[in-house]
Amino acid sequence: MRNKILIVDDSELNRETLAEILEDDFSVMEAENGIEALALLDKHQKELGAVLLDLVMPDMDGFAVLEAMKEKGYMGKIPVLIISGEKSLKTEKKCFKAGVSDFIRKPFDNKLVSNRVKNIYNLFEYQNTLEEKVTKQTEALQKQYKLLQIQADRLNKVNDNILNILGTIVEYRNLENADHIRRVKEFTRILALEFMKIHPEYKLTEKKIEMIVAASALHDIGKIAIPDSILLKPAKLTAEEYECIKSHTTKGSDMLNNIKGIWDEEYRNTAYDICRHHHERYDGSGYPDGLVGEDIPISAQLVSVAEVYDALISEKVYKGAHTPDEAFHMIMTGECGVFSPRILEILRTVKDQFEACIRS
Amino acid sequence: MTIQECYDIIGGDYEDVFERLCKEERIKKYMFKFLNDPSFEMLCTSLNEENLEGAFCAAHTLKGICQNLGFGNLYESSDRLAEKLRTRKKQNVTEFMRQVEEDYGMTVSVIKQFQAQNTI
Repeated sequence: MRNKILIVDDSELNRETLAEILEDDFSVMEAENGIEALALLDKHQKELGAVLLDLVMPDMDGFAVLEAMKEKGYMGKIPVLIISGEKSLKTEKKCFKAGVSDFIRKPFDNKLVSNRVKNIYNLFEYQNTLEEKVTKQTEALQKQYKLLQIQADRLNKVNDNILNILGTIVEYRNLENADHIRRVKEFTRILALEFMKIHPEYKLTEKKIEMIVAASALHDIGKIAIPDSILLKPAKLTAEEYECIKSHTTKGSDMLNNIKGIWDEEYRNTAYDICRHHHERYDGSGYPDGLVGEDIPISAQLVSVAEVYDALISEKVYKGAHTPDEAFHMIMTGECGVFSPRILEILRTVKDQFEACIRS
Repeated sequence: MTIQECYDIIGGDYEDVFERLCKEERIKKYMFKFLNDPSFEMLCTSLNEENLEGAFCAAHTLKGICQNLGFGNLYESSDRLAEKLRTRKKQNVTEFMRQVEEDYGMTVSVIKQFQAQNTI
């Protein structure tokens, strides 16, 4: 409780006059110059409800006190009322500029001084109490926020774990080797990070990119539903068999769509988009939905380039491996279908990073 | 002598003082305390020592007290002196000081008379 009032005046008679007005409502302290006043302010800053300050004093005057109070951070916490015989408006303005709450001219009226001090005291008391409450509530909110963050982190881990479990299923089924999945992830990350820098309008974030990278491991999960006889057939596929292969996109996305309730919607949607649309092409010639241009989710666009690049540099049952340089040119020239011109531009800038990634 | 008469002599408006300070007893108490107030003495000493900073401060304090207690004449002359000293220059100060001394002498002597009558 701030129930003390400090009266600063070099005249004992003036101090006594003011003290008499206020002592019924407050505990009054007195200082006869600025130096004494500052010592008392330092000692009783938490208990002081107001300062009544004279301007012209020996040793340290009222303005110097105001300046020191400002430096020490007392202004705004402890109200200052000037009691002065100074007549000039200039002086009064200077005082208000220095942060005082009121300027009372001599000769003063006892009742009015009492009213003005009480009004300002109450205002500051209310403000200080509010500030304390806000500080306490902010602390409580910060604690809750931290808890929420911990829970969000846990949830993210759960989401990551689900993606990893599903990714492991794909590997175990030996549909793709672990290196392919690792490289597609890495290529996707390189492309996406550069894309985020050049195209902020897509609103990618590092968090979103990590989600895309993790979900990229599932792009071919639908292949677990394709018979090995077709999937691993070394000879040319019949039209019917090819349609069956193509269905891995819809089968995979249906599977993911059915895993509900245990992972975050955003993760599920990202994995779904990648799984369903990583064979779409920018000109609409891809499958399964024949989406055109930016209708293809950006996650799927990024993964499709990464996936095709890795397929080209890998040896398959039906083809030999291309060099990274060949792979790059084949994608750029549209030999493997049309991709987003924006992503191709990015691919050009990250070509070296891709090649460094293959070497590691 | 009544307090009203006392104020008439020292050039003050007793009604105004009473309105502001509220109680006659209180006004009397401050009047008598003024007799021991060191501001005038400090003003004289500072001027003798040519300490214009101290003189301004003392004149300003004396003015403030007189203003609040409604000692009109002494307030007027100490106010003029304080304004003169605000520039911290000695020029013409003596003239202003003489008036302050005169008013101070008169004010103190009237209050003393009033005090003598009131304490009997």
